[in-house]
Amino acid sequence: MENSTQTEPKANKIIPKGEPVIIIEHLYKSFGKNVVLKDFNLTVKAEENVVVLGKSGAGKSVLIKCIIGLLKPDKGKILVFGNNIPELSADELDKVRTKIGFLFQANALYDSMTVRENLEFPLRRHWIGLKQKEIDKMVLEALDNVGLKNTVDMLPVELSGGMLKRIALARTLILKPEIILYDEPTTGLDPVTAREIDNLILKLQKKYHTSSIVISHDMNCVKSIADRVVLLLDGVCYTEGTYDELAQSKDEKINQFFES
Amino acid sequence: MALIEDIRDFLDETGSITKFTGNFFTNGLKPRFEVKELLAQCYSIGYKSLPLIGLTNFIMGLVLTMQLRPSLLKYGVESQLPVMVGIAIVREIGPVIAALIFAGKIASSIGAELGSMKVTEQIDAMEVSGTNPYKYLVATRVLATTLMLPILTILGDAISLIGAYIGVNINSVTSLNLFFAQVFQSLTFSDLLPAIIKTFFFGFAVGMVGCYKGFNSIKGTRGVGISANSAVVLSSVIIFFIDLLAVQFTNVFGLN
Amino acid sequence: MAKQTENNIKLGVFVLVGLLAMMLAFYLIGNNSSMFKSSFILKSRFNNLDGLKEGNNVLFSGMQSGTVKSITIINDTTIEVAMLIDTKIQAFIHSTALAAIGTEGLMGNKVVNIQPAKQIGVAVKDGDFLAPKRFTSMDQMMETLSKTNSNVATISEALKTSVLKLDTSEVLNLLNDKEIGISIKSSLKNINAASNNASNMTATLDMVARQIKQGKGAAGLLLTDTAFEGNLKTSMLKIKAAADNVNKASVQLNSMTANINHDIADGKGPLHAVLRDTAISQKINASITNLQKGSEGFTQIVEALKHNFLVRGYFRRQGKTQKKDSLNKLSSN
Repeated sequence: MENSTQTEPKANKIIPKGEPVIIIEHLYKSFGKNVVLKDFNLTVKAEENVVVLGKSGAGKSVLIKCIIGLLKPDKGKILVFGNNIPELSADELDKVRTKIGFLFQANALYDSMTVRENLEFPLRRHWIGLKQKEIDKMVLEALDNVGLKNTVDMLPVELSGGMLKRIALARTLILKPEIILYDEPTTGLDPVTAREIDNLILKLQKKYHTSSIVISHDMNCVKSIADRVVLLLDGVCYTEGTYDELAQSKDEKINQFFES
Repeated sequence: MALIEDIRDFLDETGSITKFTGNFFTNGLKPRFEVKELLAQCYSIGYKSLPLIGLTNFIMGLVLTMQLRPSLLKYGVESQLPVMVGIAIVREIGPVIAALIFAGKIASSIGAELGSMKVTEQIDAMEVSGTNPYKYLVATRVLATTLMLPILTILGDAISLIGAYIGVNINSVTSLNLFFAQVFQSLTFSDLLPAIIKTFFFGFAVGMVGCYKGFNSIKGTRGVGISANSAVVLSSVIIFFIDLLAVQFTNVFGLN
Repeated sequence: MAKQTENNIKLGVFVLVGLLAMMLAFYLIGNNSSMFKSSFILKSRFNNLDGLKEGNNVLFSGMQSGTVKSITIINDTTIEVAMLIDTKIQAFIHSTALAAIGTEGLMGNKVVNIQPAKQIGVAVKDGDFLAPKRFTSMDQMMETLSKTNSNVATISEALKTSVLKLDTSEVLNLLNDKEIGISIKSSLKNINAASNNASNMTATLDMVARQIKQGKGAAGLLLTDTAFEGNLKTSMLKIKAAADNVNKASVQLNSMTANINHDIADGKGPLHAVLRDTAISQKINASITNLQKGSEGFTQIVEALKHNFLVRGYFRRQGKTQKKDSLNKLSSN
């Protein structure tokens, strides 16, 4: 365990731009007889947005859940800031996780709690003893980032899908993570709202200098966000490149994603 | 083949529940304790169940008295009605009725709540937010059910005895003082103590099964429904098994 | 936050009420076993506990005043019972008080009854012994009752068999059966007739004998014929045998009547009633007497005939009046 993972709310960046923050080597994961990932390799550099493309069930969500430690891979290494995630103890994992944001596909806002409580939750969890004033300030700042300051005392059920997504994003960002994992951030939203979310992601990425892995089917989203696109096919990294490179590819398997 | 798979599934489920339960003792009882969440759960699980359990136990006491009366009258021991009803309520009817109603209300709600949390990835979100969902969600709920059901049972017993008192007074007249004196005269520690102790196990089973079913909910709204339903069914059955075990244990230790 | 606090207060009230109820229940139950009262110990030794158990109640003059704390076997006939008694009652229990094991109600739990004795003693102290008294416990009462019951059962059983025997006995048949009664009557009549016949016969023989004495009639002529004498002798022997038989019969009849008489005198046996009929018994008696007398006379006559030529002397020696009386009597019958 490195002391460098000991995170404070206003910790400065440790990894300079261009250095790798996530290195995935020879990753294997299967569920029963269903092999999802076999020998998957990926490197994400600091302040880079990587979009992972792939069919449903191709293992994209599995990949990022392995990165955050929700799933344990069968084989392989996942190095995040030099920590091999599968080998970390629960406490060590918690410390690494404070630097990783995760935006869930279904938002995963706690529906028994108000927006404020939802946003407070990770703060209270990760830093016991944080003063209420600081917490309030951070909550308001996070909500301000997504433009929903007025919803602070509402319950998730009272909000629309786009608002929920933004609040989920606010909660993901409240810890000021260095890496953000987006699980289909625009799925289920109307195109206008989806564009708003895309812009928000880009804006916040610029503001906080985060690196991110984005899972998406939405080619508009991919186009606007991606620094690099990775195509996950049959459990391996089939190809990678910029959006334009892949869009102009003659490969049928690549083309089928860009046609629609 | 289907039978073998059924057996395999059953054993798999049994093993999973056992592991899940074991987790409670290895992880759930370690610090940090989720005191605030525990209190919130105690409130919603215990306090909010009281009206329902009070009502059912009241009716049960009343009905039991009225049903027992003709038989006792036949043997000329109508005066023993408070004694009979008191023992029946304290030893068996009170704890079991309370536990079954509790299972119906709490196991289903825990199953559904955790099931939907699982389906909407809230449990994952908790884990990512530096919270052990097992400790935060399961341990608190299981502790709450384990601690609340005995209290509910005691209060339910008391309400049930009031129902029995009214039942006695429908056909004859007895004073509240005499009634309770008769009831408690005939009761011993060996009546009350095993009955209270077993409610801890009832509560534990209800919480554990509800959490297990919710935690292992399959995707979709249907999965949540199945979780809630099977949580009630399984915990009710387990309550009866614990009851059977309890009576055998008390026999073995000569407390009967 | 305010809501949270409010909820916590409600929860607190709920838990406290529950715990209080539990404590109250334990207190009330504990009250039964004197757990929370100040108490002292009294002991008593019994030779039989009748199923008394630890935790059973102790009553002082019928008042709930404590519980049985422990039971220890001292030896094979002595069991020591230690009782936890409410201190409030201590002043009222004298050392002369007696302890006894009884039952609550008809089928209830066992209890120890402490009964004040008539003589005044000092108030008991902690650890004092009370003398045991064997109360007529419910069990004993039951036992006696059961003995009584079994006695009654035996008696009624015996009564039943007697009645059954009587019902099936020959005697009752005798009494019930008209035919037998009738045949007895007819037998008696026959006996009567037989004795009449016998006396008639004797009378006739007497006459014949007289005629012979006077040498008149066919018999007289015949008797002069010596050839006829031998025949007559054999006849006489036969007659004598007949007379013997009659005699025997009369003896048997006599003993029979004696038996019957005995029965009648004792007043037992079903025949008694029948034979209470005095008319019949008198008749029987008379018949018997006649028979005896008749047979006596007959024997005498036969004896006289046997000594053919001594007849006159023989008969002369017998008083004439006596003979005539007897003859008159015989004929009158």
